[in-house]
Amino acid sequence: MAPKKKEEPKPAAAPKPPEPEPPKEPEFNPAEVQIEFTAEQIEDFKDAFQLFDRTPTNEMKITFAQCGDLIRALGQNPTNAEVLKVLGKPKAEDMQVKMLDFDQFLPMHQHICKAKDRGTFEDFVEGLRVFDKEGNGTVMGAELRHVLATLGEKMKEDEVEQLMAGQEDANGCINYEAFVKHVMAG
Amino acid sequence: MGSGVTKTSEFNKRYDRDGNVIPAALTMKAAVMIQRWYRQYVARMEVRRRYTWNIFQSIEYSDLQDQIKLYNFLGYLVDNFTPSSSERNLISHIFRENEVCRDAEWERYFSYANIEVPDIYSGPRLSFPLDMAQVANLAEAFKNKQQLHSRYVLQLLLETWKLLRVLPNINRVSTCHSKEITICGDLHGQLEDLLLIFYKNGMPSLEKPYIFNGDYVDRGKDSIEILLILFAFLLVYPGDVYLNRGNHEDHIINLRYGFTKEVLKKYKMHGKRILKLLQKIFSWLPLVTVIDHRVLVVHGGISDSTDLSLIARVDRHKYVSAMRPPKKSSASRTNLYRPAVYDEMMISKNRRGSLMFPKPLGSRDSFQRRSLQNFSSTITRTVEEELEIRRRQSEFSLSSFSRSHQILNLSLSSESEPDSSEFTNTNNDEWKQILDLLWSDPMSQDGCIPNEIRGGGCYWGPDVTEDFLNRHNLQLIIRSHECKQDGYEFCHNRNVLTIFSASNYYEVGSNRGAFIRLGPDLVPYFVQYQATGMTRGLSFSQSMKRTEHTALKVLREQLFAHKSDLISAFQVFDKEKTGLISLDNWAAAIERVLRLDLPWLVLHAQLVSNTSDDLLDYHAWFRDLALKKPGCEHIEQTLLEALYRHRSTMETIFRIVDTDNSGFITFEDFRQTLKLLSAYLNIEISDEAVNELVINTDTNNDGSIDIDEFMEAFRLVDKSRLERGRSLLKFKQENQDLPQEEQTPQTAESAASQNVQSPDPKTSDSSDPQTADSLDSQTRDSPVLQRADSSYLQTGTSQDSKTAECSAPQTADSPGLQTDSPSSQTSDSSGSRT
Repeated sequence: MAPKKKEEPKPAAAPKPPEPEPPKEPEFNPAEVQIEFTAEQIEDFKDAFQLFDRTPTNEMKITFAQCGDLIRALGQNPTNAEVLKVLGKPKAEDMQVKMLDFDQFLPMHQHICKAKDRGTFEDFVEGLRVFDKEGNGTVMGAELRHVLATLGEKMKEDEVEQLMAGQEDANGCINYEAFVKHVMAG
Repeated sequence: MGSGVTKTSEFNKRYDRDGNVIPAALTMKAAVMIQRWYRQYVARMEVRRRYTWNIFQSIEYSDLQDQIKLYNFLGYLVDNFTPSSSERNLISHIFRENEVCRDAEWERYFSYANIEVPDIYSGPRLSFPLDMAQVANLAEAFKNKQQLHSRYVLQLLLETWKLLRVLPNINRVSTCHSKEITICGDLHGQLEDLLLIFYKNGMPSLEKPYIFNGDYVDRGKDSIEILLILFAFLLVYPGDVYLNRGNHEDHIINLRYGFTKEVLKKYKMHGKRILKLLQKIFSWLPLVTVIDHRVLVVHGGISDSTDLSLIARVDRHKYVSAMRPPKKSSASRTNLYRPAVYDEMMISKNRRGSLMFPKPLGSRDSFQRRSLQNFSSTITRTVEEELEIRRRQSEFSLSSFSRSHQILNLSLSSESEPDSSEFTNTNNDEWKQILDLLWSDPMSQDGCIPNEIRGGGCYWGPDVTEDFLNRHNLQLIIRSHECKQDGYEFCHNRNVLTIFSASNYYEVGSNRGAFIRLGPDLVPYFVQYQATGMTRGLSFSQSMKRTEHTALKVLREQLFAHKSDLISAFQVFDKEKTGLISLDNWAAAIERVLRLDLPWLVLHAQLVSNTSDDLLDYHAWFRDLALKKPGCEHIEQTLLEALYRHRSTMETIFRIVDTDNSGFITFEDFRQTLKLLSAYLNIEISDEAVNELVINTDTNNDGSIDIDEFMEAFRLVDKSRLERGRSLLKFKQENQDLPQEEQTPQTAESAASQNVQSPDPKTSDSSDPQTADSLDSQTRDSPVLQRADSSYLQTGTSQDSKTAECSAPQTADSPGLQTDSPSSQTSDSSGSRT
């Protein structure tokens, strides 16, 4: 078969690169992060932090595994790789065991907030448009499922199912603008 | 292309419209982008799910405490009012001892023989002794919404009573002969769940033993049906069906949480007797079940003093209600129940910690002593007035509080059983043991502390579990009592298992139910389910949103009910009375007033509609929050607000006062009750106000007041729904398509459609001008709470609708809530079944 030339990703046209921006960046150092949140924002984060706090004595600590969820709940959408980076690249078995408190969490969150542009509605739609073969505003549900489960930071089958629940029409197609609105509106 | 193995890169090739291959890298990026967004979506949902759960639990527990507080207050009054005072007579009956009658006399009282069953009765007819076919038939009839005739009800209950009296306190079950035992948790009147369990698992039989772990009644709307089915099975298979008592198998709790009301409604003529008989039956339910000498099944849990050999010996039927210690004496009353009553001692900060992981409060003894002092000083203030009046009639004097306490007790004890003077601490211990079994909750820390959230029982830790299991040579504790998202949950290192069988407990889609199958290997096998057609086809996010919607609605009501207090709290921060407050202060003030320990900042986006900048206009916010129009402007706003806030308490008192359980109380009693309430709440209820309330309520003009009707008046209506309803009616009227009785966009199957959203057609003309007024008046700064008169828009049928009982916040006054039906319910979603 003829080899195909792979094009380099162009950030302008394509969705944002999944890797952290400078690939050879040194390890994340929380001490170097300047906290720029307002006091009110910090109070807000504390509230949310407490919702995830499952310690018996309400010590304001969460597990590493929850850190990503919390950052996302607060409005960011980092990749898993980004989350692991700010956590200091912990081992898989540490994720459920090791804890962090609010003061450790804050610089991580700040870094993610600052690190990149967050991606807009348009970026997301662009991403989906890649799969729109006919250019008619829909993508095949089956294809999307397959991609999500096999590429990138793979999703599990039930996660895919949950995401797509109720989105496909009778032909198995998804109108992706509506889909994006659905996901972003939550 | 050749044959052979498809390489991944080939497989993942994507082509665009013109047939060009899209570079894999691009595809990958697109995938990652979607995945990131998805994960954010999930995280946001999780946060919402959590705070929704927190909201429900906080309110549930805070309501439970209200109940305890009320009961203690009444108890205090009974102890301290003179015997002749009329208020005391109103309520003392609930504290009175079990009437000492012989069983034979009771059987006469409960006789069903001369209740005739008319020919037109199409429901099931029972003949005793029961057999399996009849029970299956009964279940089928209930499924078809039929009601069992009161004659058969009484007959069945009598037979049950006879059987229960010979059962031991501790049921002993064995899994020999390879029998699998099925264990079910709380059902709370949700018949659908019970039928679903039978459908999935088969009905009880010789080969299929069942253990039911208490809390069969209250909150759901089919409590009596559940009881009848369970009792019927018990009668047919007495060796294979085991019933444990739960904390809701208690007539005083039933007064507040809906069972009493349900029975009186369904059985207008004989309801009172049925309730009385049930009172006895509940007290005769066994306390725990032990499987194979290895597994303990109990409704609530244990404490560090739980002793099964003691439990085996008690006379369980003496403990009719958890709220009422076996004998009235200062010793017993000032026991564990007092500690629950104390506003000042409420753990203010971090109480969320105490819901799931309570904070230790110091040793239990100091705990009790402190609270008693606080309590009496509070009450002294409030009843001082009343007592002043009474002073002339008696020698009672506040200064000699403890002495008079004893005097009263002596005089009271003359009413009770002859051996009251022999009342010792043994009975007290026994009572506490039972309380612990039925009310306790597990916690993660070691130790054992009083359960101040529920007001009874304790929180026990993993060390207590281990100790208990070792002492009694057991390996597992199975308990219920707490709602769990997945229907079950392990804790204490898998030594304690909570099983909860009422799905959709807080709201449709809030949680699953589950039951356990236990074989001879004693390894639990779980089956989860979620009943109701409404959840079918709802995706997780849809059902989560519904639950959230209801939770927020409840929360808004709470906020509204505390309006005056909140405004005062806001003004502490807003001294210049600009009407503006920052978000942080808003959150702090709310927490100070409501004390629900919820994440207000996280919730703020949901509770405040225009989240513009950081300053909130709180007056405008209250106007947005709700709700009804003023019908009686002459009734003082704060009074109305206070009555609204305490409507559950008010209703409970009414039901207590309604000694013959008829659903009606006389004017005079009503007046007295309001006076009691005014003392309890420490608010002024003038005579004029009382008269006003009375006149507006007695629509029959027969000198008595229908409790349900009175409570109907204290309903809060969602303003936006009101407007939607009105505009819909207008639309219909303009188009004259549907008959005006028909409702709203709900589907016919939805019980909520019975909730009237649009005005009653007959009064539609007259009510429109009223609503126009109300809108105007709302723009002025005027009272928004209303005492409805009959022409008001919201005629209620909500008592009957499923959503009113099951999905409306169970903790709040159930008939009073206009349940909302979010539009997602109507869609026939093709999403996955939850």
